Amino acid sequence: MTNQEKLNADYEKEQLESRKNFSLKRLYGYALPHWKKFLFVILLIIITTGLTLVQPKLIQLLIDNQFPVLSDQTVSSAEQNLAVSATIKIALIYLGTLFFAFLTDYGQAYLLQATGQEILRKIRQNLYNHILHLPTSFFDHYPLGSLVTRVTNDTETLNEMFTSVLSNIIRNIFHLGGIIIIMFLLNYKLALLVLFLLPLIIFISIVFRKAIRKVYFAQRRVLALINTKLSENISGMRTIQIFDRKKQTEKEFNQVNQEYLDLSRKEVKYFSIYRPSIEVIQSLGIAALIWFGSKGNMQGLISFGVLYAFINYIQRFFRPIFELSETFNLIQSAVTSTSRIFHLLDEPIESVGGNLRISKYGLKGEIEFKNVWFAYNEGEWVLKDVSFKVEPGQFVAFVGATGAGKSTIMHLICRFYDVNRGQILIDGHDIKEYNISDLRRTIGVVQQDVFIYSGSIADNITLNRENVDYKAARKAASLVNADHFINKLPQRYREYVTERGSTLSAGQRQLLSFARTIAAQPSILVLDEATANIDTETELLIQDAIRNMARQRSMLAVAHRISTIADADNIIVLHQGRLAEQGTKDELLTKDGLFKVLYELQFSQIFK
Amino acid sequence: MKQYRTILPFIKQHKSRYFLGILALIFVDITHLLVPQVLRAFADWMQKGELNVERITFSALAVIILGLCVAIGRYGWRMNLFGTARKLEYWLRAKLFNKYLSLDDSFYNYHRTGDLMAHVTNDVLMVRNSMGGGIIMIIDSIFMTIFTVIMMIYTVGFKTALIALTALPFLTIFVFFVLKPMQLRSRRVQDSFSEMTNEVQENISGIHNIKAFGIEDNRSRSFSRVNQDYQRKNIDMMRLNVLFDPIVSLISGIALVVFIVYGVYRLLDGSMTLGDFVAIIDYLRLMVWPLIAIALVVNSFQRGIASMTRINEILAVKSRIVESTAPAEVDLSSVKIEFRDVSFRYNNKSPWVLKNISFVLENQKSIAILGRTGSGKSTVLQLLLRRYDVNSGQILLNDIDIRDLALTDLYRAIALVEQESFLFSRSIARNIAFSSSDDYDSVKVRRSAEFSQISQDIAAMPDGYDTWVGERGVTLSGGQKQRISLARAHYKDTKVLVMDDSLSAVDTNTEKSILKQLKKYQQSLILVSQRVSTVQAADQILVIEDGEITQRGDHVTLLQDTEGFYARLYQRQLLESELTKEINSIKQDNYLKEDNSSVY
Repeated sequence: MTNQEKLNADYEKEQLESRKNFSLKRLYGYALPHWKKFLFVILLIIITTGLTLVQPKLIQLLIDNQFPVLSDQTVSSAEQNLAVSATIKIALIYLGTLFFAFLTDYGQAYLLQATGQEILRKIRQNLYNHILHLPTSFFDHYPLGSLVTRVTNDTETLNEMFTSVLSNIIRNIFHLGGIIIIMFLLNYKLALLVLFLLPLIIFISIVFRKAIRKVYFAQRRVLALINTKLSENISGMRTIQIFDRKKQTEKEFNQVNQEYLDLSRKEVKYFSIYRPSIEVIQSLGIAALIWFGSKGNMQGLISFGVLYAFINYIQRFFRPIFELSETFNLIQSAVTSTSRIFHLLDEPIESVGGNLRISKYGLKGEIEFKNVWFAYNEGEWVLKDVSFKVEPGQFVAFVGATGAGKSTIMHLICRFYDVNRGQILIDGHDIKEYNISDLRRTIGVVQQDVFIYSGSIADNITLNRENVDYKAARKAASLVNADHFINKLPQRYREYVTERGSTLSAGQRQLLSFARTIAAQPSILVLDEATANIDTETELLIQDAIRNMARQRSMLAVAHRISTIADADNIIVLHQGRLAEQGTKDELLTKDGLFKVLYELQFSQIFK
Repeated sequence: MKQYRTILPFIKQHKSRYFLGILALIFVDITHLLVPQVLRAFADWMQKGELNVERITFSALAVIILGLCVAIGRYGWRMNLFGTARKLEYWLRAKLFNKYLSLDDSFYNYHRTGDLMAHVTNDVLMVRNSMGGGIIMIIDSIFMTIFTVIMMIYTVGFKTALIALTALPFLTIFVFFVLKPMQLRSRRVQDSFSEMTNEVQENISGIHNIKAFGIEDNRSRSFSRVNQDYQRKNIDMMRLNVLFDPIVSLISGIALVVFIVYGVYRLLDGSMTLGDFVAIIDYLRLMVWPLIAIALVVNSFQRGIASMTRINEILAVKSRIVESTAPAEVDLSSVKIEFRDVSFRYNNKSPWVLKNISFVLENQKSIAILGRTGSGKSTVLQLLLRRYDVNSGQILLNDIDIRDLALTDLYRAIALVEQESFLFSRSIARNIAFSSSDDYDSVKVRRSAEFSQISQDIAAMPDGYDTWVGERGVTLSGGQKQRISLARAHYKDTKVLVMDDSLSAVDTNTEKSILKQLKKYQQSLILVSQRVSTVQAADQILVIEDGEITQRGDHVTLLQDTEGFYARLYQRQLLESELTKEINSIKQDNYLKEDNSSVY
């Protein structure tokens, strides 16, 4: 498939998707609570439009009724004085329309913007909350960069939908309607003449619209690609530099940048043809008015004032069409953005779990896996028929080669994923019966990847959780021996750390993560290869702390080192997704099984 | 406007396009101004009853011809000016990205990814707008204004024209007063937008964490704060922005009213005709756009300047790592590395991270660096790779100071495997070959994957080596990432391999096989670790405590200092496995002898 074909295929797909997900009704559902404001805005727009359209009519009155009297030297001075005062009166009315139009126009624009922003804020918040509650599996497949674009840029495009688009459409439709009515009132023959041009303009606009829509679609796709590339290359800059891949990266970025430029040029070209061609039609219209109007004038049917008003209106007549067609592209991108946003909002959120709540005293910590089968992707079983039981307060360790399914068990206990077959019971209840937030609050996980939020060290431990205050944070930090390095920082607990966490070493990050988990006093502690990055000395101290913690709670740990699990109450050995054997260290060593092999590997490595 | 100096080379390069575009624009402006003259003549003929077929045909044709001229001219300036603005966008984006490629770690430690992205997207867009629409508005506002005034004076004389234009200065005054606050508010909106982008980016990257701790509500509240702030800043800006059009209409309308009232008396004394009157009304209408343009142009350039300032700030950053302009020639067929009295700290106020570090790594030898978390052992590697420059002392590669080497040569000599390795969202094969296209040696990729014990994992993946990694593909475990990262380093085929605690997430079985592979391969090796078991077979072991080398030697020598850090750590790691009893049963002598033929 060539690039162009692919682009077209993407385009078709997007079209289909947008039809499926986009509904103006749904979007404007967000506007519904503000209907009074919108109604008021519409009223103000109508008033503004009316006032503006009366203005050429006033000029026509001057030209036809007063000016002939004024410039005719043969008329008596009394009549002329009358004409002067009439002219001044019309001028004052004109002034009045200006002031009123100013007030209503400003009022309308401000109210619309303020309301639009309020709606936008709400959509953004809904979208963000929705993303937060999507299931873990969703994030395995959806690019991070696109999610950010959804919340920020796509909602920003929507802003136009509620402000510019809405006011443009209303204003211009009223404007057009108003002009047509006034034209018919002035002279229906000339009005029909002008209306003849309408199909021509609409035809050109539709052709243009079709062409530009494709360009805009491709542009957004490439822009998203640029964003993804940027985000990835900035995050991986160090690696790029160390591997001396600057030139290649530059070339690669240039490719998408160039692609975007080509599309931009196309966009400029289409507009460069469209706008002038409308202008030519406008000139044709004026020429026709002059031609037919002057014939009528010679027959005494049409006054110059009327003809002049028509020329004036014809110029005002094309502007709303200009603006409406400019609105096309805003609508186009808004439609795409909206369909993307709704597409995301239609992703089913993670289940909130059952009704079973967990008291603040937590759980006993009895865990049972009953014939659990699990696959991340259909058909690729990661866990096959796994059953085991953890008694309250027990320390159970999981060992096995990489990919044996150890981490998956940890994920399932927290209900990041649901089992495909079988059951997981905690304190005798299926975990699906528990409220999911309660469940996760009660289970403390120390993960492999530590995430540091921008904020102080203290914030990073408390995570602003209700049940964790500053005191608990400090206590937890000292329990896992993190206070040692924290106190060495210039600002101690108030030290500012960032997402990239470059100021913290991997070991320090992990100590923080320990403190974070333990601060909430979880009933069940889950360690997912958590001690990989910590030096032996620190690890020993942590293990000491964990041992204390483990006295009051069940603990499950994945570890690579036999030493970490030496005092486990039960060791579960996994092999290719199956439970190979279990028992205490001594029991397993007496068997001639997998554990013995693993154990000896460790053993020999230590002694060689 | 001095901020725009950055794009001067681009403007020079495209000066003919700018010239043509501006010329076409001026042509359009002038043509526009002739239309009212046609109507003026037409009105006068009509009023005096002097219309005939010839004059009607002339008027109608003139309108059509002028319309065609406007259309052609408009096509010309749009293509040239808008087209070039798009090219500028491309140019500036590439320039910024290249700058990013050249900046060092000290820069990236203090700049957030979201901000850096915003410069390349939003700020570049602002500059593009100011250099496209902005230029058009400048020309329109200057030429249209001047030509219109000239045409008005030509039509009705100086005095009447002046009176018709009395309201003009008020518009300028209004613009003058409103622009500073507008610029300020626009900047606040943009800052708030970056703030929001960052918040979203950060939290979505940490989504697993959020879920594990069940803190969705708290994160939602945190977002709600930036979201509200963004709304407030936007409304603040809008309150002012939406004032523009109504004010412009009002003031230009007042000009028309003033002209009508004055014009009445000119009509009375016969010094002005209906045609003149009609033409002036038209000219006043034509003045409206240049007047709006004045307002918009300043606004557009204010935004452009704000964005340009931010872009310039980035472009002005000097990488602390300066590559030598005349790099030394170096023969990389064998590589010797030497640290000579190296000391380092991040800045003048912070404490020393490394103090007087000296060691030599001969070709095809191995060296291990052992120390606690935060002891400075990783910093040794950072310095070797010139992520930072030393404060005192020297790092030599084949007896040449690395600061005198081309960075390319340095990175050709050394491959690094990091503890937390960064993989790109592309296929596994492309990650290993570190290539964005299929332009790689697939046999070598497979060999590298086998070397780092990842080939079996890859074979089990849905698309094998073509499996997409990361956001849109497979989720790899920490150990798998580390092994792919090792394969990537191996593919690079360097004389020196540096491993920064990079097997920490790999299980023991696999680690052992990898260490065996490393031994077979003819590479110098620098190993940083916290485990005696990983480092003990190295030719030379350095123990770093608080930035200083406290012990050095091979495993046997180091163990002899029973009170030293190494021996104590060794003992502790033995204890840790709670296998002390078994250890005692093995004779110390025996085991020390075996050591020389260990895993490397």
